[in-house]
Amino acid sequence: MANYFNTLPLREKLNQLGVAEFMDISEFADGVSALKGKKIVIVGCGAQGLNQGLNLRDSGLDVSYALRKEAIEQKRDSWKNATDNNFTVGTYEELIPTADLVSNLTPDKQHSSVIDAVMPLMKEGATLSYSHGFNIVEEGKQIRKDITVVMTAPKCPGSEVRAEYLRGFGVPTLIAVHPENDPQGKGLAEAKAYCVGTGGHKAGVLRSSFVAEVKSDLMGEQTILCGLLQTGSILSFDKMVEKGIEPGYASKLVQYGVEVITEALKQGGITAMMDRLSNVAKIKAFEVAEELKTIMRPLFQKHQDDIMGGEFSRVMMEDWANGDKNLLTWRAATGETAFEKTPAGDIKIGEQEYFDHAVFMVSYIKAGVELAFETMVEAGIKPESAYYESLHETPLIANTIARKKLFEMNRVISDTAEYGCYLFDHACKPLLADFMKTVDTDIIGKNYNEGKDGAVDNQELIAVNDAIRNHPVEKVGAVLRKAMTAMKAIKTV
Amino acid sequence: MINSVVHITHLSLQYAHDVILDQLNWQILPEEHWLIGGKSGSGKSSLGKALAGLEKISGNIQFFFDPSSPLPARVLYVSNWYQFTNLEGDRNFYYQQRYNKQQRNDTLTVYAELMHYSKEENLTFEEVEKYLSLFDFLDFKNTQLIELSSGEHKKLQLIKALWLKPQLLIIDEPYTGLDKASRNKLNQFLEELVAAGVQLMLITNDENIPSCINRFAEIENGQLKILSAIQHFSKDLARRQKPLPYFLRQESKESADIFVHMENIRVRYGEKEVLKNISWTVRKGEKWLLQGHNGSGKSTLLSLINGDHPQAYASEIHLFGNKRGSGESIWDIKAHLGIVSPELHWYFDKAAKVWQAIASGLYDSIGLFRQLNYEQQQRVNQLMDFFELTSYKDRLLTSLPLGKQRLVLLARTIIKNPSLLILDEPCQGLDQVQTEHFNAVVDELCSFGKTLIYVGHYETLLPSCLENKIVLEKGEVKTIQKIAAYA
Repeated sequence: MANYFNTLPLREKLNQLGVAEFMDISEFADGVSALKGKKIVIVGCGAQGLNQGLNLRDSGLDVSYALRKEAIEQKRDSWKNATDNNFTVGTYEELIPTADLVSNLTPDKQHSSVIDAVMPLMKEGATLSYSHGFNIVEEGKQIRKDITVVMTAPKCPGSEVRAEYLRGFGVPTLIAVHPENDPQGKGLAEAKAYCVGTGGHKAGVLRSSFVAEVKSDLMGEQTILCGLLQTGSILSFDKMVEKGIEPGYASKLVQYGVEVITEALKQGGITAMMDRLSNVAKIKAFEVAEELKTIMRPLFQKHQDDIMGGEFSRVMMEDWANGDKNLLTWRAATGETAFEKTPAGDIKIGEQEYFDHAVFMVSYIKAGVELAFETMVEAGIKPESAYYESLHETPLIANTIARKKLFEMNRVISDTAEYGCYLFDHACKPLLADFMKTVDTDIIGKNYNEGKDGAVDNQELIAVNDAIRNHPVEKVGAVLRKAMTAMKAIKTV
Repeated sequence: MINSVVHITHLSLQYAHDVILDQLNWQILPEEHWLIGGKSGSGKSSLGKALAGLEKISGNIQFFFDPSSPLPARVLYVSNWYQFTNLEGDRNFYYQQRYNKQQRNDTLTVYAELMHYSKEENLTFEEVEKYLSLFDFLDFKNTQLIELSSGEHKKLQLIKALWLKPQLLIIDEPYTGLDKASRNKLNQFLEELVAAGVQLMLITNDENIPSCINRFAEIENGQLKILSAIQHFSKDLARRQKPLPYFLRQESKESADIFVHMENIRVRYGEKEVLKNISWTVRKGEKWLLQGHNGSGKSTLLSLINGDHPQAYASEIHLFGNKRGSGESIWDIKAHLGIVSPELHWYFDKAAKVWQAIASGLYDSIGLFRQLNYEQQQRVNQLMDFFELTSYKDRLLTSLPLGKQRLVLLARTIIKNPSLLILDEPCQGLDQVQTEHFNAVVDELCSFGKTLIYVGHYETLLPSCLENKIVLEKGEVKTIQKIAAYA
């Protein structure tokens, strides 16, 4: 199988990367009718599989689960998830031939073998749906020409997809139709109906393409989302301990701080996050972020280039073939870091203290979000797509760190994201080694405002505010966040 | 001179601009067991929390515990509202999550939770068995916290408190959510604790209290007012009679004559059967009382009716004329009915303001995600006026006294004038006056052709319109009968 993206002429590459249309709720007026009375068979019953299925059924659609024979015979968790909620469960052979729409919600790594097993059983003219396009774009999976291929990708973990649906809302969602597989022209109508069934239409839907989704998703999760938070957490913790801050405090400041800081990011973008700092601290954070951006930009560009060229997925698939050797080694090493092994101390840290005592962390997150966004847009990805894969998901990932540190984050995210995260982390730490020597506890561990009178130069403050507020990620964010104002705050602390 | 155990001087507490406690002075002497009652919103809970160090206060609270006592020298405050977290310390649970089964364990089991507690507090684990068995809790050891009903959560909290035996035990609304048998047992235990040297402070307006209570007080204008007996507590003012808003006097249109029909329903989680062989029919206009002990399956049964239980699919359940799972969405079902329950209350949007909370009932959402048209806004305003909530319009729902919060939720649920009202222990945590007020409104609503399912423990405090009764016991129907008219 050849990398699908690489087979395209440049014109078509740019064309597909550039699909990004924020849809108005009126485009979903048909509700679920395109799928009403049709048989939806979901393959896989993990967090996404189960929760999407529960929502679709509660929206009046006919949902059942196809599982591998062994999963049924051995009554594995996926079988229990489905049967405990009174779903019909059957083998591929039993259910796939009856399906009008097959939704593949297994992990990336299994896609190829699942599709190989499922495709011959699918009825003529049926639809195949994904929640992530890796298999189509990076592995270049060819789907039978009579089959329609669509994607509905909720931009949140499965449990959130369910929770938001039950309170009458939804989570932001990307939808796409694969241009090579839309023989009857029904793809978009069905993807929209699926999206309504999961509740996504209430929280903002971005019409994307398989290519744009994959190239931006891989970039986002490797750099800003997982990689940067991992590197930032470890560097901040190690620095504090090196400078004599009590380890329990340092551990707590980092573990929960990423969540508190990014909650401001979620609600009001980088502007709101920076506005939580005093004027002096804000100017300092801005300067540090600029320096970090200069140092890290080539690394972000390398990641984006490797993703666009297919080099990243090629190397990762080699590791899959090698029994995940690298992934497992790196995972074990993360479990051994001092940050991971130091429990958060039993100390009360006030909400504002998470900002004032971690100016470095704020700078680092600002630098990462802006760099990821800028690098994606420079590579031809539209700002809307880049926003979802950078700023939007950062708080969701930060929440997993607050729960159980990096181990939990790496458990929750996909293996693909985890693999990319380690690649980034390993390259980023040496890159920042010299810079970290200049960092002291005034920007990580202690209150930056202490001993300062808070005075700033008018002109300087105006220029800094201006630069923060007029960054392109803030412009597009303001529009997209309007559709999500109702999303509830994530809170662990 | 007798030394006091607690000495409070000039205790003040305010929330934003509302002064709750104002220079309050109080001494608790040995052998004194206090009951704090009185009007809702007077500051009872705040005082309890302040004593436990859970509020930001000014003034002075000093404790003089008995160093020679074997009991832990500390205060324990049992809140009127339960709280639990998942394994990651997270509290982001959603309404009805307990019915959505997922293999990954999100919360601790009861057993693990108690283990953890015994380590933290240095308690002997064997001793808890006694309390578990007396509250019929032994079967729940392997149950996850999220699967417990509201009454069961309350019991677990009490079990922990009884087990710890702190020198000063404060229980806020101890009887909330408990059925009659559990209430009596609790009182018996409290007497035992007192005999063992615990000092009690109960916050409630309930009259069925343990006999060891020997001091009474209420809070008036932020100050403690000592009373000689339980009969002297101030009562909330009776409600002014107001006409029901016009839109609620219209009979809601409903084509089906049979609203709910179930045949041989069973609900099971793995090996555990929660409901078995339930057959029940609710016809248009009927007024049902649903009763049963804590954990008998009442809330689960109701969740099958309001569209929240995944196991309603593939079962013989017909709602409003349609078989469940025949293409209807849960929002179609919810459009017919209105519900109030302790769980809905517990999981309700913490950021909701009163006006928005009522308005959200038009869409059955938790949180308001849409704009309202003029007629809809008028409905919200009429309900606010009817329930005398207008002055709370922009307040956070959670900042209101409990009784007012319940009225807001009732207003939310009737705003769409549903044909079926499901009220699952709507008066839990309310005192007698508040309960009578609430039930009077229910009776009035029901006189305009509504169908009602009402869950309540207190036989004496029920709406008078109820005609039929269904009683559950251990997941099965024990009796279905007509209610004899009250004399």
